Amino acid sequence: MIWIGDVLVSPGEGGVYNERMLGGSRVWAPYRSKLSALYHVGTGIELTPGMRVLYLGAANGTTVSHIADYVEVVYSVEFAPRPMQDLLEVARRRKNVMPIMADASRPEQYAPLVEPVDLLYQDVAQPDQAAIAIRNAPFLKNGGSLILMLKTRSVDVRKEPAEVFHDTLEILEASGMVIRESVWLAPYHRDHAAIIGKRAEGE
Amino acid sequence: MQSYWFGDVDDGQCTPFKGEAGAVASRVRTLRGSMDGFVPLDWQLAVACGACADRADYLLKLQNVCIAGSELAVREQYAGKDVELLQMVRTLDEMDTVINLLSERVADWHQIRHPSFSRKYRRTPAHVLVKSIADRNRGGAIGKVAGEITNLADTRTALAREVSGRACAVMPNTSALIGGLVAARLLSHAGGLKDLSRMPGSAIQVLGTRTALFAHLRTHAPSPKHGIIFQHRRVHNAPRAVRGKVARVLAGKLAIAARLDYYRGSLAPAFIDNAQICIDRIGTEPAGKENESQ
Repeated sequence: MIWIGDVLVSPGEGGVYNERMLGGSRVWAPYRSKLSALYHVGTGIELTPGMRVLYLGAANGTTVSHIADYVEVVYSVEFAPRPMQDLLEVARRRKNVMPIMADASRPEQYAPLVEPVDLLYQDVAQPDQAAIAIRNAPFLKNGGSLILMLKTRSVDVRKEPAEVFHDTLEILEASGMVIRESVWLAPYHRDHAAIIGKRAEGE
Repeated sequence: MQSYWFGDVDDGQCTPFKGEAGAVASRVRTLRGSMDGFVPLDWQLAVACGACADRADYLLKLQNVCIAGSELAVREQYAGKDVELLQMVRTLDEMDTVINLLSERVADWHQIRHPSFSRKYRRTPAHVLVKSIADRNRGGAIGKVAGEITNLADTRTALAREVSGRACAVMPNTSALIGGLVAARLLSHAGGLKDLSRMPGSAIQVLGTRTALFAHLRTHAPSPKHGIIFQHRRVHNAPRAVRGKVARVLAGKLAIAARLDYYRGSLAPAFIDNAQICIDRIGTEPAGKENESQ
């Protein structure tokens, strides 16, 4: 990851969402993007130029555009038409963004388009976030990584965020995912946690 | 056999699919594979298939397909009859908020300029007051603001009429039960006709009571009896004791009406007549009758 002092940046064409520029690079603000927050509070996964990424819950393409600055290709799945319009605009300007309008809980809809990826990044406001990640795990290469941005309030508002966090970790581990890191994204994002897992090698 | 965007692959034999990005995208949407026994896509197959020359060409062609497919999907989503209505009713509700806020502000402002002015013991509705402020202060800033509020209120009236008309066309049964405006508000809170039609009556009953509902779920606060449907006269005119009951029965009928609207799309007079009688009966029966009969 590229840091200028303590500011995380990504190299690429600016002006996607009026982000600040620093030394010709785009400032990747932690309050704006959960992935940036993860790099600020934890370790995360180093993004490298050869990486292929599957991004579930791409929304307006803000974080997508930053990831795209680092990696080879980002398959970006988004379900809602309004944010998809913005994502399409990002894709028209960035050759390595593949916009896919589909439901992340139904991977068979986009299986004919997506190749095996090094990183599965998920940021969806759904109650069954762990199940969605597991359902998309077949796209991960052996040894590939999962970053799950857990929105605890979307899972169940009545439960304590810590409890949801714990339950999600258990479900993921039971599915054969090896958890490498799990951190809360405070103070940048409230009641959000990042879970980083690795798909077990072999089989 | 595995189907990918560039063609079908069977035992290493590839049948390429030739066509423009739009045609390829349309075909991808018809593919109904399953994740069991899914063989991940290998981009080099596309080269072997003759779909592209190299990695760069693969990504270029794939992006064209992805963009074409997503554009198509967005266009389809927006073609729904309820999509524009949703924006219209949300605009209407926001205009109401703005008009109320500005009217309050202008009234306060007017009071400063006229120290003896008070709204106590007057039956002047807000819009009449704003109009009179506009008329009496022509040329001044306060007059201009008041004038703008009056204009905004006129636009709001026109929009409300249009929303109501559109709702009657898009959701005839629901509108017949609670009127176009309230029906449109239900639609807006549900997120669309499809979503509304899939809601149980109990959810429709408490649509628009987010704060009260979550207070109920989190703490032991009493459950909300009615949300948006309170705006309908049958609910808010009902005696307090049976209001919850009316809301429940009405919401149940609305759930059926929404399904009729979504799946049939035309008015079902027999259903509406029965539902009206049923709801009116609940509203007029004396409280506690249910307990007596048991």
